[in-house]
Amino acid sequence: MPHRYKQAGNRTKTINKATFFTTMRLLFLIIFFNASWLSAQQMVTLNGEISDAANGESLVGAVVYIKQVEGGAVTNVYGFYSLSVPPGTYDVEFRYVGFNTQNMILKLTENMRLDIELIEIEKELNTVVVSANREDANISDVEMSTAKLDIKSILKVPTFAGEVDIIKSIQLLPGVSTVGEGASGFNVRGGGVGQNLVLLDEAPVYQTSHLFGFFSVFNPDAVKDVKLYKGGIPPQYGGRLASILDIRMKEGNNKSYEFNGGVGTVFSRFSVEGPIKKEKASFILAGRRSYVDVLAKPFTDVFDNGAALYFYDLTAKANWDIDDRNRVYLSGYFGRDVFKFDERQGFDWGNQTGTIRWNHLFSDKLFSNFTGVFSDYDYGFSFGDDASDTFDWSSNIKTYDFKPEFNYFLNAQNEIVFGAEFLFYEFEPANAIGVSDGFISDISLDKKKSLETSVYFGNNQKINDRLSTQYGLRISSFRYLGGGNSYSYGTAIPGERKPWIGTQSHDNMETIAHYEVLEPRASMRYTLNPTSSIKGSYNRMNQFIHLISNTVAATPIDVWQPSTNNIKPQTGNQIAVGYFKNLQGNLFETSAEVYYKWNKNQVDYIDGADILINEFLEGDLLSGDGRAYGLELYLRKTRGRFNGWISYTLGKSELKIDGVNYGTDMAERKGQWYPNRFDQRHNLKITNNYQINDRITLSGVFSYLSGTPTTFPNDRFSQQGYVIPLLKNERGNVRIPDYHRLDVSVTWDNVYFGKKGRKNTDYFVFSVYNVYNRRNPFAIIFSQGSDRQPIHEPVETMASQISIIGSFVPAFSYNFKF
Amino acid sequence: MKNIFILLIAFVFFACENIIYPELEPSLEQYVVDAWLNDLPGSQKIFLSKSNNYFMSELPKLLSGAEVYLTDEDGNRYDFEESAEGYVWGDSLSTSFLQVGTSYQLNVSIDGIRFSGTSEMNPVPPVDSITFKYQEEDFSTAEDYYLAEVVATDLAGVGNTYWIKAWKNGLYLNKASEINIAYDAGFSVGGNIDGQVFIQPIQELINPFDTDETGEALIEPPYSIGDTIYVEIHSISESAFYFLNEVKIQTVRSGGFGALFAPPFSNVSTNLMNEDVNSAIHPVGFFNVSAISSLEQVLTSEIAQQAQEEVANKD
Repeated sequence: MPHRYKQAGNRTKTINKATFFTTMRLLFLIIFFNASWLSAQQMVTLNGEISDAANGESLVGAVVYIKQVEGGAVTNVYGFYSLSVPPGTYDVEFRYVGFNTQNMILKLTENMRLDIELIEIEKELNTVVVSANREDANISDVEMSTAKLDIKSILKVPTFAGEVDIIKSIQLLPGVSTVGEGASGFNVRGGGVGQNLVLLDEAPVYQTSHLFGFFSVFNPDAVKDVKLYKGGIPPQYGGRLASILDIRMKEGNNKSYEFNGGVGTVFSRFSVEGPIKKEKASFILAGRRSYVDVLAKPFTDVFDNGAALYFYDLTAKANWDIDDRNRVYLSGYFGRDVFKFDERQGFDWGNQTGTIRWNHLFSDKLFSNFTGVFSDYDYGFSFGDDASDTFDWSSNIKTYDFKPEFNYFLNAQNEIVFGAEFLFYEFEPANAIGVSDGFISDISLDKKKSLETSVYFGNNQKINDRLSTQYGLRISSFRYLGGGNSYSYGTAIPGERKPWIGTQSHDNMETIAHYEVLEPRASMRYTLNPTSSIKGSYNRMNQFIHLISNTVAATPIDVWQPSTNNIKPQTGNQIAVGYFKNLQGNLFETSAEVYYKWNKNQVDYIDGADILINEFLEGDLLSGDGRAYGLELYLRKTRGRFNGWISYTLGKSELKIDGVNYGTDMAERKGQWYPNRFDQRHNLKITNNYQINDRITLSGVFSYLSGTPTTFPNDRFSQQGYVIPLLKNERGNVRIPDYHRLDVSVTWDNVYFGKKGRKNTDYFVFSVYNVYNRRNPFAIIFSQGSDRQPIHEPVETMASQISIIGSFVPAFSYNFKF
Repeated sequence: MKNIFILLIAFVFFACENIIYPELEPSLEQYVVDAWLNDLPGSQKIFLSKSNNYFMSELPKLLSGAEVYLTDEDGNRYDFEESAEGYVWGDSLSTSFLQVGTSYQLNVSIDGIRFSGTSEMNPVPPVDSITFKYQEEDFSTAEDYYLAEVVATDLAGVGNTYWIKAWKNGLYLNKASEINIAYDAGFSVGGNIDGQVFIQPIQELINPFDTDETGEALIEPPYSIGDTIYVEIHSISESAFYFLNEVKIQTVRSGGFGALFAPPFSNVSTNLMNEDVNSAIHPVGFFNVSAISSLEQVLTSEIAQQAQEEVANKD
């Protein structure tokens, strides 16, 4: 299918608007007048909420199953379910993994509201790590290429410095990788870090790392549910090519006060949650702060002159259950990393997000949610000795988002979702002010604005006992808006800087460039037998904002850039097929998936691109095709003293861009396929837990990743005494050595509280990261060293392999709950 | 400036480096032209050599038997004669033939191959002053020290590019990280600072930060009383500005944690072309003509005293 971008212009604009509405109308018609629904008989609706009896937290993805119809419903992200059946008497099961199933016999003669509380199974031996909605959910769900992490159950996976970490945990799943320690973010199926949409209570989080990727910004104490979509992405999500990581915060215990906390090697955490009004309204407040600086202060004078080195984050949420039909939520996140050399000079970055949500039940079948979101990511540098000599530079991206979303539980076969999204971006690429001897120079770049609007429609349809489908369409429009300038560039030899030829100024909110795109999405599941199924999916995604990053790993100082008259939106297509099989009564889960992705308008950079504080950045960007394909294998033992999983990915990710990797084609410089910076052939992760007794659990994680591609120079030459590397025009011609590492940890439960009472629990974790002390390579650099070079003597050039963590790292943490 | 915080962070983490000896492909043996000429009195020198394997640490060997000359817009020809030091025009008593506002073409013919490139000589602003700032001993040094700042004003008009070179006590500050270039008064074309005093980081990039050999402190003091600093501003072409910027990107490779911020290796640009466009032989290197202004300043005890008083007055 051809891509449907259209540039701004009066002609195309009107055509597109018409197409847009016609398509939407058509979709509504198809779905609402589906013949099978018209023949529907008199139905009654059973609906309500399912929550955890201990704290009132709603359970996402809990199952309501009716034996007589061999079907049922699953709670949505707010814990709400609804299903329609003919009147009658039914055996109804309410179940959720890790909780006792509740059985009921219900006589349904009219619509009924039934809120259910499930009770958690007492201290089990079977530590489920990656949990599913129901035991055979991997077989029976239509969804593929997704993974859900239950925060309660990842506690025993050791990550860096003994802390539970969401971003590190999802890297243990097939298809997810990172280029090494110190890299911010993660890569999914050969996609870039900037191609993942990370949502915290629906607010986009642009930087997921504290301390350059060593810790993620999400406080596990405040997180309820994490879901990663690698493919088969439903139509309610859009805006990034590679994946959606949907993180939902806890609502807070609405029955009694609860305190959670931990003292770790690098930071400490504390959270409090409790009812504002019992069973009606609750809150949670969670904070973390690192304390290297506090601990070091008595021993060094480094911090005396205002120097600082710390990070912190604060997460807060409140919700109010107004009545059966209305509920409101307010949540916020505020985090910051600070590095300061003295009072004036330093570097800091942080995210702030705020979300307000209103759940409203229009009818027993029509559930709605309205979300308003604000998100701001910013970073800043400051240099200079005093007020008359300074250089201050900051950059930010602000997002305002409004999302109405509707779930229409039509009948037992169809669950319809539709909604819209209005996303307004404000980019400040550089707010830079230099003061030299009191003379102020402002080298700031113009702010950029853009508006991304989408409407979507989807249906989750059960066609028969064996075949289920999920399909939909998302239509998005992106406008690059005025207020600033737009630029025109001439043509250049591919790979060279495009010459600037003109600047045009624009009125505030004037449309400078306009793109409209259609994104069809579909997935299906066919059950072969009760223990196996095959699934397939197709999705198209578009990405209108681009992470400008020219380094091996993404860093906190990367800048986001909207699509403009010169930069087209990225388009991605993905097909995936999978086979899912469970063995021995769901004791073992296995799956195999293959995927193929083909992308357009991928961003790369000219040699020597100047990507920071450059008004003419667009002239330094290149655009071309991308492709990625791979095989993902997964085996998990779900229960028993010894449990865990193995994930393996065989993958390839490449780019083809004119002006890059053109070999000897000096005349046309047509690009050949070359590996992405994060192309890793093999990715193996083995995660194991062994419960020695009631109190002690041993865990181990082994990771093996193929080396990332790099480019080695061939030769050197001199210019004015400087030694410069010379390369063939081949990118990524060498691989750095493979990465492998073993981490182990011991968890000792009930250290102090012991048998005293069930509510108070505590545990102690001792972990060792990189047990066998491997110096895993992050990069190989070629240089003449940083020492002063002798004159009239040859300059020594050498290669060195850089390891970000060069030794094993032991750590401990003590964690409590009361 | 990025390096300062990278340095700090590197101490906090466990980053480490191992020297390795990977096998590289055979040398490309590409022709290299090193032609940076200026308007100072004395001889002008151009060096021709071939690239060799990256790990071959030896001085470039002069290629002999080449014809090397410059031509200007008026058809004047300036021949460079082969010598042990390279291809040379004039002697120590000569006055440079290079004129501001004139465009020159470099012509090289060697082994039957002809290379050429052009460069125009741009004007240069004077160095107004070199000042010193007093810094009390801090965690990086073992004693009080002084930071030098060069004050000069960019010439009016967008697109002036400069290379600021500094010498401490006669020793050229030749680290790749000390390559100090300016686009107008700022870092880059998009900076939009025209006709102003060079921005702070450019003013300060004339201070050597060398590791303290005694191990008592992190760095040696950049300047102490009695030191002499000599600064030159070279006008360079816009393409030479980009070339030097690329040289800096490709050669300043901080190890340790700094590797996180390193862009991928790529070739630097050149303004030299093989006249046979279909040939597989592509010379590397650069041809540039500069006008130079300069200033020398000794950090006398009077100046040091003044700098100390300035700090005292602020407190």
